[in-house]
Amino acid sequence: MTLSFFDQFSSPTFLGMPIILIAITLPWTIFPAPSNRWLNNRLLTVQDWFFSYTTSQLFSPLKPSGHKWALILISLMTFLLSMNLLGLLPYTFTPTTQLSMNMSLAIPFWLATILIGVRNQPTMTLGHLLPEGTPTLLIPALIIIETTSLFIRPLALGVRLTANLTAGHLLIQLIATASFILLPIMPAIAITTTLLLILLTILEIAVAIIQAYVFVLLLTLYLQENI
Amino acid sequence: MLSRLVLASGSALKNSGSFGACMVQASRSLHSSPQSLAPVPPLPEKGGKIRHGIFPEELFTLLYPKTGVTGPYMLGTGLALYLLSKEIYIINHETIAAASIGAVIIYGVKKYGSQVAAFIDKLNEEKVAKVQEVKELSMSSLAQAIENEKKEQWRVEGRHMLFDAKRNNVAMLLETNYRERLHMVTNEVKKRLDYQVQLQNLQRRMEQEHMVSWVEQNVIKSITLQQEKESIAKCIADLKLLAKATQARTTV
Repeated sequence: MTLSFFDQFSSPTFLGMPIILIAITLPWTIFPAPSNRWLNNRLLTVQDWFFSYTTSQLFSPLKPSGHKWALILISLMTFLLSMNLLGLLPYTFTPTTQLSMNMSLAIPFWLATILIGVRNQPTMTLGHLLPEGTPTLLIPALIIIETTSLFIRPLALGVRLTANLTAGHLLIQLIATASFILLPIMPAIAITTTLLLILLTILEIAVAIIQAYVFVLLLTLYLQENI
Repeated sequence: MLSRLVLASGSALKNSGSFGACMVQASRSLHSSPQSLAPVPPLPEKGGKIRHGIFPEELFTLLYPKTGVTGPYMLGTGLALYLLSKEIYIINHETIAAASIGAVIIYGVKKYGSQVAAFIDKLNEEKVAKVQEVKELSMSSLAQAIENEKKEQWRVEGRHMLFDAKRNNVAMLLETNYRERLHMVTNEVKKRLDYQVQLQNLQRRMEQEHMVSWVEQNVIKSITLQQEKESIAKCIADLKLLAKATQARTTV
């Protein structure tokens, strides 16, 4: 099967049947379920530690009324993290490279924070549109700018994740292709390219983790403003 | 076949009975096993044995009787060569990408695997240590309580000594008090007697003085004028004699 560079980004089908749902739900199966034993095996212990650590890190700046978002946001982070990291394996499909999926995650979460803010503290929410200490003449312009930045947030959230992952995957493909093509022609350059590829892979692992974390971190920040 | 029917009807009856959807009972129909879920069987301490990170040891033990030690490796090599030669798997850029991510993962696991395992083990150890500490603390406090109790029992044995000492103490105090009061009484009585003695002395002395002064007064009164003149002339004559004698002594 010959692969073009963009086959990895097309929605996966098998014998004409879309298996995107399997691709999205498969990462869930690799996480061990919490058990009712007191001492667990290493995998479950580290999973528990990781979840409690990230929850405390993300949610300690929030008021207690925001802590009820902990479950969904940490689930989201685990979802994105697992998808990003599994997508680095060869011949896998990464659902988070699809803009449709990322936007469908970003817009509802962002909108929920806005609606909570508008419903519970409308004055404060509108007040966020004007930073403190701005000179009087700049107020109209700044309100427009802040409103724009407010509405661009979901787009930024979705596109950031999509662009980072798509670009990373594409780069891996390109450099791997270059290395593959150069292998019979100039082996020394191919080896250099492969070294570059290894560094890039390390970067991509970091990017995968960071992008998942940043997505959820920004959502907690938006929540913090509005809760 | 009839037994299958019995089993099926038995499980159906169990399922549709008043116990509702009790799958546990359905799987143990016809009362063939003990009905207890506790104690929970212990988890295996370590995971299954693995060779080269992904292949379970069971595969090797499975193939060992027929193909010996190199059997699984030959299987792997043959499989790989088959996939390549029949072009079921084609080497392309993804292979290189797979090689790079494989290298990174293997390097990460080999270098940091033991550290991560030690960290996780430490998390579990801390959990156990906290509870163990509570247990140790309660055990040591109970042992301390036993020691204290034993000491109290020993103290009880020496109680009579304590009481003797206290009794002696009290007796001594009483004795001291009695002696003090005796002293006080003696002193008081002596003071009163001294007073009486002094009074008598005073009386005698005053009588004596009075008598002496009376005698003196009478004597002075009885000295007549003639006697006075005579005594004075005598004194003068004596003095002259004494002067002469002294003069004579000094010139000699």
